[in-house]
Amino acid sequence: MTQNKQIKQFAKQLLKMSVEGGDLSADRVDGVLKALDKNPPRHHIAVLKAYLKLVEREVAKSTAIISHAGVIGARSVELISKQLSAKYGRSIVPITREDPSLIAGLRVVVDCDVYDSSISNVLSTLESSLS
Amino acid sequence: MSSVIEQIEQQIANLQTKAVASNTGKILKIGDGVAKIDGLSEVMYNEMIAFPGGTIGIALNLEEDEVGAVVLGESNHLKQGDEVKCTGTLLSVPVGNGLLGRVVDALGQPVDGKGAIESTETYPVERIAPGIIERKSVDQPLMTGIQAIDSMIPIGRGQRELIIGDRGTGKTTIAIDTIINQANINKVGIASGDPDFRPVYSIYVAIGQKNSNVARTLGVLEEKGALEYTIIVSAPAADAAANQYIAPYTGAAIGEWFMANGMDALIVYDDLSKHAAAYRQMSLILKRPSGREAYPGDVFYLHSRLLERSARVSKDHGNGSLTALPIIETLAGDLAAYIPTNVISITDGQIFLETDLFNQGIRPAVSVGLSVSRVGSAAQQKATKQVAGKIKLELAQFRELAAFAQFGSDLDAKTKAQLDRGARIVELFKQPAFNPIPIEQQVGVLWAMQNNVFDDIDVSKMVAAANSLRDFLSSRKEALLTSIREKAKIDDDLTAQLKAAVEEWKPTFA
Repeated sequence: MTQNKQIKQFAKQLLKMSVEGGDLSADRVDGVLKALDKNPPRHHIAVLKAYLKLVEREVAKSTAIISHAGVIGARSVELISKQLSAKYGRSIVPITREDPSLIAGLRVVVDCDVYDSSISNVLSTLESSLS
Repeated sequence: MSSVIEQIEQQIANLQTKAVASNTGKILKIGDGVAKIDGLSEVMYNEMIAFPGGTIGIALNLEEDEVGAVVLGESNHLKQGDEVKCTGTLLSVPVGNGLLGRVVDALGQPVDGKGAIESTETYPVERIAPGIIERKSVDQPLMTGIQAIDSMIPIGRGQRELIIGDRGTGKTTIAIDTIINQANINKVGIASGDPDFRPVYSIYVAIGQKNSNVARTLGVLEEKGALEYTIIVSAPAADAAANQYIAPYTGAAIGEWFMANGMDALIVYDDLSKHAAAYRQMSLILKRPSGREAYPGDVFYLHSRLLERSARVSKDHGNGSLTALPIIETLAGDLAAYIPTNVISITDGQIFLETDLFNQGIRPAVSVGLSVSRVGSAAQQKATKQVAGKIKLELAQFRELAAFAQFGSDLDAKTKAQLDRGARIVELFKQPAFNPIPIEQQVGVLWAMQNNVFDDIDVSKMVAAANSLRDFLSSRKEALLTSIREKAKIDDDLTAQLKAAVEEWKPTFA
């Protein structure tokens, strides 16, 4: 087994230990980090980097980044979060970000999935269809 | 001007105003036309991926953490962190009659500067080959116009016949001759108004070739009036390996359209050695495990799934055919190398071209002993069978005897006669490039050979004699040639006519 594979496998084991009831637990992640600090494994930095990547991916799965141009009401954010939670079958935490480049509308990102109703997306689609 | 505004307004109206869902990923690294992508959780194998700037790619490696994709076309503008999207569709290319006479790239886009291609239909580049139920046996001939092939290694419509040999032995010439001959037959057939006539359309796929070679081929086809029945798919050496990999499948998709619509098509893959090398390059960059000669493990499947798409299908499934002439370049005549053995086992026969024969001036340099057609004899015209049935055996015996005859001068009369006859057959089969001979003329000359008409002519004058007889028949006995073509077999009446014609010709040849 290559070194890279061993590191990836170890990071996956760490991720398994960080999950509680199907969701990533901040306390468990903290515990894993402390344990690693106390007993540093071989290729400590590489293991941490691989672990970070997996944790980021896990966080992205339960996070909806809502980019918006202009104002967005708390009710809309709640509605989006509720609908996405129902769709994915897990609790989705909304994070709002203002992005003037969207011109108007919303862009919601959950892991790899993008839901775009912004004007900038409409314009770029129009541009590509005309070229 | 107002129409342009209306067009844009229409386009805006058509655009969806609701949220557009897409599955995305980010480029982790990119180089040598291959991108490693993070994300794309819903991507399918062989799915088209949209890169920024209108560039497309194909997902080839679906790994646990990332997706390996090949970029089709220019990838210099792509960088790490760029967003890519799944398209949910397989790569498709335009197909149809609108492509005839055109030169397209591996994605079916025109590269000949003749404007846009008129095509309303597209076919997926990768497709499952017709199954057993859909197929029909190969029983219609496909004339190459090359005497040595049509008489000894006949090809049928729907067959896969490999053309194999070292570099510079005339592999491409045989393929081009066949394309030219199809155009010649099409012209005669269409002009005759025969409702049962089935034209053969040709597709020439140039893989990893020099642009100058493709231009030369294009020039020859244009000069011989064959371009109107031909489509050229070009993925030259300067193209990315991914384009060279996809080009034969594009050609097959174009050919399948003819097959599915009750027409016959011929496809030439020139050549599959370079195709395998392009695939090896891609696979190594994708970090796929390598095997023999550094080719990936699925290099056999690469060619088998391509060549299996050539078939003759039954009436219920399109009633057409796709005949394939793949070309393989060998090194120092080594037929036992990896790719040659693979393709030999996939195809229904091979035409082996020998360097020694080529250098001796025997062109086409077809090696009779190593060439074979496994299904073509069922499709061979009866007339050709009648006049050329024993020729392959006689020629093979001649080659063997000629090798022995080198060691001694005292030969019995029978051996001398066999050697003499063999030498005449060899001379008879000599044929210049890009000059296919119509089947009825071939039958006429072979009939003369079978009936010992050339026996009193000096071997050195055999080529001239055969040419003279052909000219005589085409200029003076057109009705006889038409009868041979239409009847497709030699009966007593035709025998008498041929005898009379040959007797009339003989004194004219001094």
